Amino acid sequence: MNMRFIDRKICGRIGLALVAALSPLLSTAEPAVTVRQVELRTTPASDAKSVATLPAQSSVDLVQRQGAWVQLKSGKNTGWAKLFDIRLGAAGSGSGTAGKQGSGNSLSETLNLASGNRGASVTTGVRGLDADMLSKAVPNPQEYAALVGYTSTKEQSQSFAKAGKLAPRTVEFLK
Amino acid sequence: MSARRIVIALALSAMALMLAGCGGGGAVRPDEAQSSGPTAALSGMSMGGFNLGSAIGVAKGAQEAFGEVSEPQEIEMGRSIAAGLLGAAPLQKNAAEQRYVNNVGLWLAQFSGRPDLPWHFGIIEAPTVNAFATPGGNIFVTRGLMLRIHSESELAGVLAHEMGHVVKKHHLNDIRKNAKKGLVLDLASLKGGGGLGGEAARAVARVGLEGYVRGLSREDEMEADAIGVVIAARAGYEPYGLVSVLQTLQTVPQSDASMALFLKTHPSPADRLSALERKMPSSFEALAKPNPALSRYNQTFKPPGK
Repeated sequence: MNMRFIDRKICGRIGLALVAALSPLLSTAEPAVTVRQVELRTTPASDAKSVATLPAQSSVDLVQRQGAWVQLKSGKNTGWAKLFDIRLGAAGSGSGTAGKQGSGNSLSETLNLASGNRGASVTTGVRGLDADMLSKAVPNPQEYAALVGYTSTKEQSQSFAKAGKLAPRTVEFLK
Repeated sequence: MSARRIVIALALSAMALMLAGCGGGGAVRPDEAQSSGPTAALSGMSMGGFNLGSAIGVAKGAQEAFGEVSEPQEIEMGRSIAAGLLGAAPLQKNAAEQRYVNNVGLWLAQFSGRPDLPWHFGIIEAPTVNAFATPGGNIFVTRGLMLRIHSESELAGVLAHEMGHVVKKHHLNDIRKNAKKGLVLDLASLKGGGGLGGEAARAVARVGLEGYVRGLSREDEMEADAIGVVIAARAGYEPYGLVSVLQTLQTVPQSDASMALFLKTHPSPADRLSALERKMPSSFEALAKPNPALSRYNQTFKPPGK
């Protein structure tokens, strides 16, 4: 895990356990590309001061996510943009860029894979739950019983939500 | 018609006669008869002058193999299909992770519009990237997808998307449309002696699993995305978790074998992201304040090597 973005003095003060808990938030440095012209802002707010203007298709590093916002680093500039302003991965990589294949390189794809998941153990080419396995499967009552065994009660899920400071909100369904 | 189907059909006709007898006595209302009796699927079929369709509430629709399904029947179908999925790939053996997913899931379910379904959530032991929902409230995420999820909000986004399929009965309707004509879904015997190990459960599971290979419609997937972000937001999660997951999946090369079925059965992550950007109002940004309490996720779902 990349620790470049963590101040060493702070590390010393708050202790290793807390660092372990927070470091995924703080040290997520993933390659990304702007999908439109983007204003980098000093804070995650639309009315915050602009630090720099990046043209579309600029290569940036995603430093951290915060809800609708992402902190980006571009050369010497670091600032906030909207989550939808970027596409993860280096230019030309990934499954969502048909027509732009071929411009990616193996190094950037390696970096994407290393940062796009929780570890390096995602396997490629290993047979998983594919169409053939689904077509041939027969019910497994023992595994279903195990599934039911993990079920939470409403009370348990409410305590869990309370501990996670999750408060219900009224939100209308989208049009 | 195979010998087995004939046997089941005969059993159905006997039950239908019994139900008809109850109805004649005025003891059972039609809706009760439907929820306690066989659902099945003999559209327009008549045996010995007795029309099964009208007796057991089977739809006559030309495109549907069987008709309206009551909630208890939907739940029974879901049990068979869930057991079928677990026949293809078992649960991951990690109780702490399974309980965590069930806590997030059941909390979300309270805001789904169908809070009282028997919701069950599971991580299945498969390296492929995918998630599944069955009718009646069973939701599965593969280990391959869990490895690409960074936070509780992202997990909530995925579970809430699947919940959208359940709430809108996407799979149930898909099965109704695509099950072969003449297919017999003997749901009464699912509840009875046969259980999950029986022939009826196998038949239901087979039809349900075929649906996962075929995939739902593009419209269903987009609708589940739109419902999912709202369920997550209602439950107190920042609504962009699903967006983050789709952005991560967008980085995986199309040639990656772990993505093959997922990409075949879903609109591209890029298209789903465009649709969500269009639909999610700017007012959602205020629902996305940082929540340090959710860093608990990294204690249960430890990044490998830590």
